[in-house]
Amino acid sequence: MPSEQSKMKKKLFTLLFFFGALLALISCEDTQQEKNTVDQEVFDPNSRITGRFDNRLFSIPSPVQTSYLLKRLEIDFETTLLNDVKNVNDYITETKQALNLGVYGADLGYTSLYDQKATSIKYLSSIKKLSSQLGLDVAFDTSFYNRFKNEGADGDSMILLMAEAFKRADFFLKESQRKSVTALILTGGWIESLHFACELEKKNSSPEIRRRIGEQKRSLASVVEILQEHNEDRSNDGLIENLIDLKASFENIQSKYTYAAPETDSENRLTIFNHDLEVILEDNLLKEIHEKVKKIRNEIITA
Amino acid sequence: MKSLIFFILILTSFFNDVLAQDCEQIVSNCESLLNKNTSGAKFVSDGQVYSAFLNREKAEFKTTFFGGSVYRIAASAGSDENYVIFTVKDVNGNILFSNRNYKNAPYWDFDIRETLEVAIETELDLDLKVTGCAVMLIGFKK
Repeated sequence: MPSEQSKMKKKLFTLLFFFGALLALISCEDTQQEKNTVDQEVFDPNSRITGRFDNRLFSIPSPVQTSYLLKRLEIDFETTLLNDVKNVNDYITETKQALNLGVYGADLGYTSLYDQKATSIKYLSSIKKLSSQLGLDVAFDTSFYNRFKNEGADGDSMILLMAEAFKRADFFLKESQRKSVTALILTGGWIESLHFACELEKKNSSPEIRRRIGEQKRSLASVVEILQEHNEDRSNDGLIENLIDLKASFENIQSKYTYAAPETDSENRLTIFNHDLEVILEDNLLKEIHEKVKKIRNEIITA
Repeated sequence: MKSLIFFILILTSFFNDVLAQDCEQIVSNCESLLNKNTSGAKFVSDGQVYSAFLNREKAEFKTTFFGGSVYRIAASAGSDENYVIFTVKDVNGNILFSNRNYKNAPYWDFDIRETLEVAIETELDLDLKVTGCAVMLIGFKK
C-alpha cells in the first residue's frame, strides 16, 4: 500500500475525531432552536475547496526568455528600455503595483543577464518596495535580497534566484486566493519583454527578434484569458480591451506548422521535437503591433 | 444551529488546511525534480506553479515552448514519484509525448529547435492515486 494512502487515512481519522468531538459539543448545547436560513454555499463542503483549486490553469512564458534571445544575438544593452526606478513611488493602487512588479521583474532579468550589477541592485530595490506593498515578503524575503546582492556573482545565478522568488510569490498568491494579483504580475512581465523585443527589432532589424514577436500569439491569448478570469471588480477592463485590440493584430500573423514525429532518448529522459514552424510578420503589421505595445506599456508604467 | 454552522466552517477550513499543507509539500517535492540529474546549467523556473486538485479528472493548459531552449516538465502528486501522468500535444491534437509510456517518469526534458505551441494535460494515475493535489513545474535552459 502506498505511504500516501496511509497518510490520508491518518488525516481522515483526525478529521473524524474532530467531527465527533464537535458533535458531542453540539448535543450538549441548549435546545434553543433557531430558524436561521443558512446559505447553500456553507453546506456545500466542496465550495471552499474548489475555490482554492479551480483547475483553470494558465501559462505565460517567462519574460527572461526574450532577454536570453537578445543576449544570444549579441544585441547591446539599452538602459533606455527600462522603466525608471523613480516611478516606483507613484504606484499607489494594487493593480499598478502588481503590473509594475512584473515590469520591474522583466527589467531585473534583462539587467542581470547583461551583468549590469549596479543597475540590477536599483531594480532589486524597486521590487523590494512593490513586493512588500503587495504583502509578498514571504517570497521576496531577506535571504533572497542578501543572496542576490552577495552571491549573485554572475547573471545566470541572479536569474535563477529571481525566478525562484517569483515562483514562490505565484504559489503564495494562488494559495491565498489572490489570483488577480498573480495575473497582473505575469501580464506586466510579458508586456515588458514584448516591449524590449519591439524596440530592439526596430533598432537592429533582426529577423530572429521579429520571429520571436510573431511567436507570442498563444502567450497573448493566455494573458487575455487569465485577466478576464480574474477581473471580478472590472478594474482591468481598460487593459483587457487594449490587449484584445493587440490580439486582433496578432491574428493577422501568418504561421504554418508542420508536424514531424519526435525522437525520444528514454535513457536520458529527453525528447527532441522535429516539427517545423514558419512565421511571417510583415513590416506594416509589425509596426502596428509595435505601436499598440508601446501604448499598453505606457499606460501600465504611468501612475 | 449557530454551532452547526460554526462546526461546518471549521470543518471545511480544517479540510482546506490539510489540502494546502499537502499541496505545499508536493510543490517542494516537485522543485527537487526540476533540477534532478541535470548536467551543466540549471533549469530556470518559468516563475509559475501549476497546481490542481484532481478527482478522477484532467487539468489542461496551453503554453509556448520557444525554439533554441531545452525545457523540463516536472510533476508530482505525493511522496512517490509516479502518481502523475502528463501528456504534451501539439495544436492539432497530435500526442508528442506522454510519460505514461515511460513508467510515469516524474520529469522529462524537451529539446525545442523550433518554437511550438503545446497543450499539456495532467491527470493522476488512477491505479495509484484517485484524488489529490497535483503540481507541475516548467523550467528552461539555453
